[in-house]
Amino acid sequence: MPPEPAVTGMGVLSAIGQGKAAFTKALLDGQSAFGIMQRPGRQRQSAYLGAEIGEIAVPTAIPRQTLRAASLSAQAALTVLDEAWTEAGLADVDPRRIGLVVGGSNVQQRELTQIHETYRDTADFLRPTYALSFMDSDLCGFCTAHFAIRGPAYTVGGASASGQLAIVQAAQAVLAGQVDVCIAVGALMDLSHWECRGFRALGAMGSDRYADEPARACRPFDRDRDGFIFGESCGAVVIESLESSDRRGRKPYATLRGWGVVMDGNRNSNPSLEGETRAIQNALNAAGWTASEIDYVNPHGTGSTIGDETELQALHACGLTGVYLNATKSLLGHGLSAAGTVEVIATLLQMQAGRLHPSRNLENPIDPSFQWVQEQAADHQIERALTSSMGFGGINTALSWQRHH
Amino acid sequence: MTKAMTKTELLDLIAQHTREIVPGLDAHQFAASDRLADVGANSIDRAEIAMLVQESLGLSVPRVELFGPKNIGELADLFLQKLDAA
Repeated sequence: MPPEPAVTGMGVLSAIGQGKAAFTKALLDGQSAFGIMQRPGRQRQSAYLGAEIGEIAVPTAIPRQTLRAASLSAQAALTVLDEAWTEAGLADVDPRRIGLVVGGSNVQQRELTQIHETYRDTADFLRPTYALSFMDSDLCGFCTAHFAIRGPAYTVGGASASGQLAIVQAAQAVLAGQVDVCIAVGALMDLSHWECRGFRALGAMGSDRYADEPARACRPFDRDRDGFIFGESCGAVVIESLESSDRRGRKPYATLRGWGVVMDGNRNSNPSLEGETRAIQNALNAAGWTASEIDYVNPHGTGSTIGDETELQALHACGLTGVYLNATKSLLGHGLSAAGTVEVIATLLQMQAGRLHPSRNLENPIDPSFQWVQEQAADHQIERALTSSMGFGGINTALSWQRHH
Repeated sequence: MTKAMTKTELLDLIAQHTREIVPGLDAHQFAASDRLADVGANSIDRAEIAMLVQESLGLSVPRVELFGPKNIGELADLFLQKLDAA
């Protein structure tokens, strides 16, 4: 029997809760934290809406001298990794058999913009460590310097599918026997005003309609949606084989039974029904499941006008009409590189709770033929779940999760 | 700089920036004879400390000249000499 990748630890940061306990409560209570974003370097003659994380409770074992040099994305990665590491109890695993995959590329844009602006006229004083920090792989450097990870550690990029791609990559490393444990981190995407402007100019980021009502702006799958709303988040998921977790006496949340990762053949931001359908179908086929066996889908659902419609069409095309659905991004906003990882965490926490979180602002679902969880959380046992992500450049991912008993 | 810095002030500045970069020096009493490497600063830390001092002084020193000083006293002397010449 081939080894099954199992999830034995998770760590999460979001604007509505830091750590799994607070995050789960906020999810099930249907909280959100949208407003005009305030972080330095994120606005310039602008008022972009989004959800920002408060002060991060970085593990106390990490000295302030280290944190001084760590970007927001690096601090978030260290924090979620610490939570996941502790839960999975990795101190007893040979460090050479532990790997790390960080999902996301160009995730530190706001930090870089701040540095460029600070040293615009005084370039002679640019910090030498800029040569380290400008690369996303600096997150791997920080994480492996502070945790006993001595197997491979690297980044993978797939735009808004990066977080799921990191999980797939980690699972593959475990399945291939390259490592016994591999941790996937969905990196905090730290947008500067430049990226916000780009997303707005492209028509991807809302909200023209709800500029004065931030709490109502983020509305995936609702008739009045007008684009995604950004939300900072970061997540870590510990993957190991079921054989390894059994040996170590750890009880997994779930096992990853299959996935689909496919391209549309389209460099642009528009979705593809064919690509999304194929990713979902591949994930079902790999698990050996039929659509009727799926109890819950955690969709990509950003609030994009065309994207949300296309995604529901893809679910219909795969026979998932009528499945239970909610929109995690309606609470968190879109974490971009982090979204896929954080939404897998949200899925497994709902699986554990036997309860589905509400979807905010889903007043008029664009397609009522699904079992939407709207303003109230719903009791619901999940045995088999599907999670999906899509990214600019035509990447689609879908993962099949089996609850572990 | 409105008035000339003393060597003590420069040593304090170097100590301050060293504490920002290297953990575990909060209680350390810096002396002119301290070598940055001996108090735990690796080569990247040393480059970072030297740059922070230059930025605080508003004074740019060619990197090659920073290899000369053997301890923080000599480093302070180098900066004082450059400040005088500026």
